[in-house]
Amino acid sequence: MRDALLIAKREYLEQVRGRAFKVTTILIPVIFIAIIGVMALSGKNSGVGKHITVAAQDADFANLVRDRLLADKDARMTVDVVAPATDADRQALHAKIDQKQLDGFLWFDSAGVKFVSRSSGDFATEGRLKDAVNRAAVQQRLTARGIAPGDVSALTDSVKIETEQYKNGKEIKTNATSTFIAAYIMAFLLSITVVMYGMNVGRSVIQEKTSRIFEVMLSTVRPGDMLAGKLIGIGAVGLTQLAIWLVGAVLLSGTALATQLMSSGFKVDIPVAEIVLFGVYFILGYALYSSFFAGLAATCDTEQELQQYTPLAAIPIWLSFGMITFLLSNPNSWISIAISMFPPCAPITMFLRMGSQFPPVWQIALSIFLMLVSVYAMLWLSARLYRVGILMYGKRATLPEMIRWLRYS
Amino acid sequence: MANVVELDHISKAYEKKIAVHDLSLRIDAGTMFGLLGPNGAGKTSSIRMIVGITMPDSGVVNLFGKPFTRESLKQVGYLPEERGLYKKMKVLEQLIFMGELHGLDAATAGKRAHDWCERLQILEAVEKKTEELSKGMQQKIQFIATLLHDPQLIIMDEPFSGLDPVNATLLQDTLIDLKKAGKAILFSTHRMDQVEKLCDAICLINRGKAVLSGGMREVKSRYERNHVVLHFEGDNSFLTHSSIAEYKDYAGHVEIRLKPHADAQSLLREAAQKATIYKFELVEPSLEEIFIQTVGEKVDA
Repeated sequence: MRDALLIAKREYLEQVRGRAFKVTTILIPVIFIAIIGVMALSGKNSGVGKHITVAAQDADFANLVRDRLLADKDARMTVDVVAPATDADRQALHAKIDQKQLDGFLWFDSAGVKFVSRSSGDFATEGRLKDAVNRAAVQQRLTARGIAPGDVSALTDSVKIETEQYKNGKEIKTNATSTFIAAYIMAFLLSITVVMYGMNVGRSVIQEKTSRIFEVMLSTVRPGDMLAGKLIGIGAVGLTQLAIWLVGAVLLSGTALATQLMSSGFKVDIPVAEIVLFGVYFILGYALYSSFFAGLAATCDTEQELQQYTPLAAIPIWLSFGMITFLLSNPNSWISIAISMFPPCAPITMFLRMGSQFPPVWQIALSIFLMLVSVYAMLWLSARLYRVGILMYGKRATLPEMIRWLRYS
Repeated sequence: MANVVELDHISKAYEKKIAVHDLSLRIDAGTMFGLLGPNGAGKTSSIRMIVGITMPDSGVVNLFGKPFTRESLKQVGYLPEERGLYKKMKVLEQLIFMGELHGLDAATAGKRAHDWCERLQILEAVEKKTEELSKGMQQKIQFIATLLHDPQLIIMDEPFSGLDPVNATLLQDTLIDLKKAGKAILFSTHRMDQVEKLCDAICLINRGKAVLSGGMREVKSRYERNHVVLHFEGDNSFLTHSSIAEYKDYAGHVEIRLKPHADAQSLLREAAQKATIYKFELVEPSLEEIFIQTVGEKVDA
């Protein structure tokens, strides 16, 4: 055990002092904030600043549609009206679209409504047009039935839905978006760190293998102690980095910027239980991925060979994130429960489920138990591959060779 | 003399080949032992079993008079042929780390590392990272890492490869001092001239088997003094003399191997009649010749 701790200490100090640690500690949160910023910004700005023409027989109706479109301040549209519109006008509008003076036009006739535009699939603009046309139509029909214009706007006022979550016997005001973002951030962070540090262990094994240090070490240290020391050391590096981010986040939340963000309804509060679970799932996920990569790395001879195995780690992560909408809207379906029990996906999917609802304690306990079992099995397997592999130089081992090593050791 | 290493009929087979077959040897304290053999003969496999990296399939490894335990490894210093250092670590930190792994505390390891660096003239390098050092310097650091915990058994696989003559001599002298201090040194190499100069006993292995072993003098005395080195000037027709089995003529310098039990004196008389002799020396075969002869025979067989 003394040897394992000495090795862990060496590994920890070397990595924490290294440049990669400093760079990722700063860069990952920066990239993170940038991604969220870009997402928020592009969500707000999609379909903005379009130039639309409303063409109809009925000038009053066309103006109603225009007013509705202009009422949406976020869209910043430019709207012209052509009424009454003729076929010649339509030709002229086509020409304008060709010359890129116009993004599109709404054409009203007896057959119905058409939106002719340069691009297809601009969902944000289509949504706005649909909303405006419907409201204008309702307004016109109500007016036609003799309802006063003031009453019309009162009648057609849209209703806002406030989301509240029933939790711990209380209704708590929440914001679906911010809960989602909190879960998303934690799942994303978890997948990045688990895989990053898992690969890190693999790389470190390869480096020791290429620098031929194993034979020197093995004349005093058991291979099991070397592997344990490496896993503990690099795991501690990961925990250090997460702790730095946590402290940083807490410090940042006291600053003016955060207050501003929170007042704009962007409230993200993460309960302590989730932070603790984050630590637990990080350690388990890390142990699983890192022992996997340590075993694989021992069978490779160069870093390039090891990189060919990287997709094996990426698949569970793609799978987990691919199911994000499903998990958020059906957190208690059997598929969601099953995938959050599956050890390679468990850390990420559990956090995505937490995004909409905190899973029952027994499910969390079971997933932790299953992860512990698989970590144990993976360590057993890797330790065997490691023991034989680290002294084999030359070429990457094939699968039959690996199986022979397992029996041999 | 206390025996430090005793291999008793050890064998090790890997999947496709037998690496070591029924090897027995003994290394005493205060001696330098040469483990020789062509590439792939089983030298490294044998050493790995002595230091417990692998276990023999059969036979017993005794260290310091007891069956092998990992505890006794604290008294062994091993410099493998495939050697490495942590590139990003500073020299002193690295040496302390290695010392700690061998059971020293950090302070003692640091002090000894300093003393050794001074002795091997690399004190200016202690604060540098390993990757900044020349290959020769790295080799010296590795050498120190092997010796830091004052091992009673020192195992060195090709310790002088890649060193310039000045540094090779420095390390060679250090090894001789350690031997005089009573350490057992097992030393594996292809360089027969070094073995001949340094070792008290040898074991030559080929294809996993010991083909020749014993004390250096004793091994050499098994071979007849049937080699002649001759310097001359003049007629070389004496080289057709019936006692000569084989010769190499390097213009005035001839190396001759005589037929078994041939009469060297009659060759000298004939040579003296025909040419001017500057030197006529009857020598025992060099270790290199013994090596080639022994291994070559086995390879042909």
